[in-house]
Amino acid sequence: MSYVIGVILLAVITSLACALPGVFVVLRKNSMIVDGISHAVLPGIIVGFALTQDLNSPILILGAALAGLLVVLGNEWLSDTGLLAGDAPQGLIFPALFAAGIILVSMDLQHAHIDTNAVLVGDLNLAVFPALIVNGVNIGPEYLYVMLAVLAVNAAFIAVFYTRLKLTTFDRQFANVLGMRTRLLNTAFMFLVSMTVVAAFKAVGAILVISLLVVPAATAQLISKRLSVMMALTAVFAVAGALAGFWIAYVLNTGTSAAMAVFYGAMFVTVALTAKIATHIRRNRRSSKSTAAAISAPNVGAVAGE
Amino acid sequence: MTPIACECRDLSVAYREDPVLRRVNFCVPTGSVMGIVGPNGAGKSTLIKAMLGLVTPLAGTSEFFGKPLDDVRNRVGYMPQSASVDWDFPTTVIDLAVMGTYGELGWFRRPGKAERARAMAALEQTGMQAYASRQIGELSGGQRQRAFLARALVQVPDLYFMDEPFQGIDAKSQQAMIDVLKDLSAQGKTIVIVHHHLGSVLDFCDHVTLLNKSIIASGPGEETFTKDNIRIAYEASDGAEAFLAEAG
Repeated sequence: MSYVIGVILLAVITSLACALPGVFVVLRKNSMIVDGISHAVLPGIIVGFALTQDLNSPILILGAALAGLLVVLGNEWLSDTGLLAGDAPQGLIFPALFAAGIILVSMDLQHAHIDTNAVLVGDLNLAVFPALIVNGVNIGPEYLYVMLAVLAVNAAFIAVFYTRLKLTTFDRQFANVLGMRTRLLNTAFMFLVSMTVVAAFKAVGAILVISLLVVPAATAQLISKRLSVMMALTAVFAVAGALAGFWIAYVLNTGTSAAMAVFYGAMFVTVALTAKIATHIRRNRRSSKSTAAAISAPNVGAVAGE
Repeated sequence: MTPIACECRDLSVAYREDPVLRRVNFCVPTGSVMGIVGPNGAGKSTLIKAMLGLVTPLAGTSEFFGKPLDDVRNRVGYMPQSASVDWDFPTTVIDLAVMGTYGELGWFRRPGKAERARAMAALEQTGMQAYASRQIGELSGGQRQRAFLARALVQVPDLYFMDEPFQGIDAKSQQAMIDVLKDLSAQGKTIVIVHHHLGSVLDFCDHVTLLNKSIIASGPGEETFTKDNIRIAYEASDGAEAFLAEAG
């Protein structure tokens, strides 16, 4: 597999793997918790890397994901105790852990050579190394298969639990009355999100992963009346952004993940403005139509009133 | 003696340190329309939430048709306060009504034609069929409540819990909903309804519970909905005084 194809495929698969759970992250208004996870898992990733010397290691990914989940649950518990108001627990826990991770990186722990810059924004162009060689044939980046596995797990989870995820997200209390295990489902889902964030870390870094998770879904929600439509549009936006981001980075000779994040932002603004203008036009047309109807049939109201 | 649709014994609830309900004993005869009335902060919503397990009580037990909730969930319907959901959620009115079937679908089945037909029938009952393909955020307050009522109807429960269904709705929607309630009552269904407007309680409730952290009175409306009981429940608050003055 050629280098360029490897980077493009990796960008597309990573963006899809993040965007699918992103739909529910956006609808549950959990975006900032996910941002928190992406920061809080950093020490876990660094320690894991020092131990395994491999960012693709499933042990590292699952271990760091578990640590991320613990942070989410700890966050919920801290909120429940009422010691801190609102989202203050997030401001308390996540930056401290992130900073601990940064210190670990700069300490060159066990000679874990991770570039601070790569920690922040990742590097898709480097993430394609090493390639997976089967029977002497290069079948693409090893990391591509890690992200494919994450995408498959995410897609399967959403497919199996679709109605439950939908109902607990929309109306948790009603779901509880129907007997759904909403807390368990929430914990499983947050674990999946945590795992996705850790896995995508190598490609897009701790700061930019939130963009891949949140922006395609947030853009899709602007123009979706139904959840199934929102899911499909999210996938379309995610892939479009990955391809455009790669192309921009290629032309400008810059980082793919950063170009993707910028394109996602521009895409959201464009769709938001278009949707706003479209509603405006529709409303004007509707009101001029109803005025016309009132003029052409002035007696309708009077007849109905009789 | 009439059989009991639901009851709770010695139910106590606290949010953090504040007690909300104190040793509440509450029982609803089968086939009645029970209004739960009381001032703001009296614990009306909390009472039904605690019975349904949405709020964990400090103490006390609840039973439905003589059994714990887990055994009879398919016979119990719930209509939450409309303010509790996100109106930007990408779902249409018909989708919302179909959610009433989710409890019986099991793990892998998706709602299909039969479920949509049932949802449509429920929307017709509440006069919402014309809005079936609207996104829920495009509805007025009254239309929203009628859509939620339709979802509860789709469940075909024997016992309905409704939390402030008449809040912020227009006269037309209110009449449409009262018609449905009377229909359900005529079919022998039991309805527990949290209500805050004293003037209209007896329009559709035959039983009334006056609540203010503990039960003041509970039973047939003509016995319990008395000036003295209202005064005790509302501790002579302005709204109740105005109502009592009007009632003479």
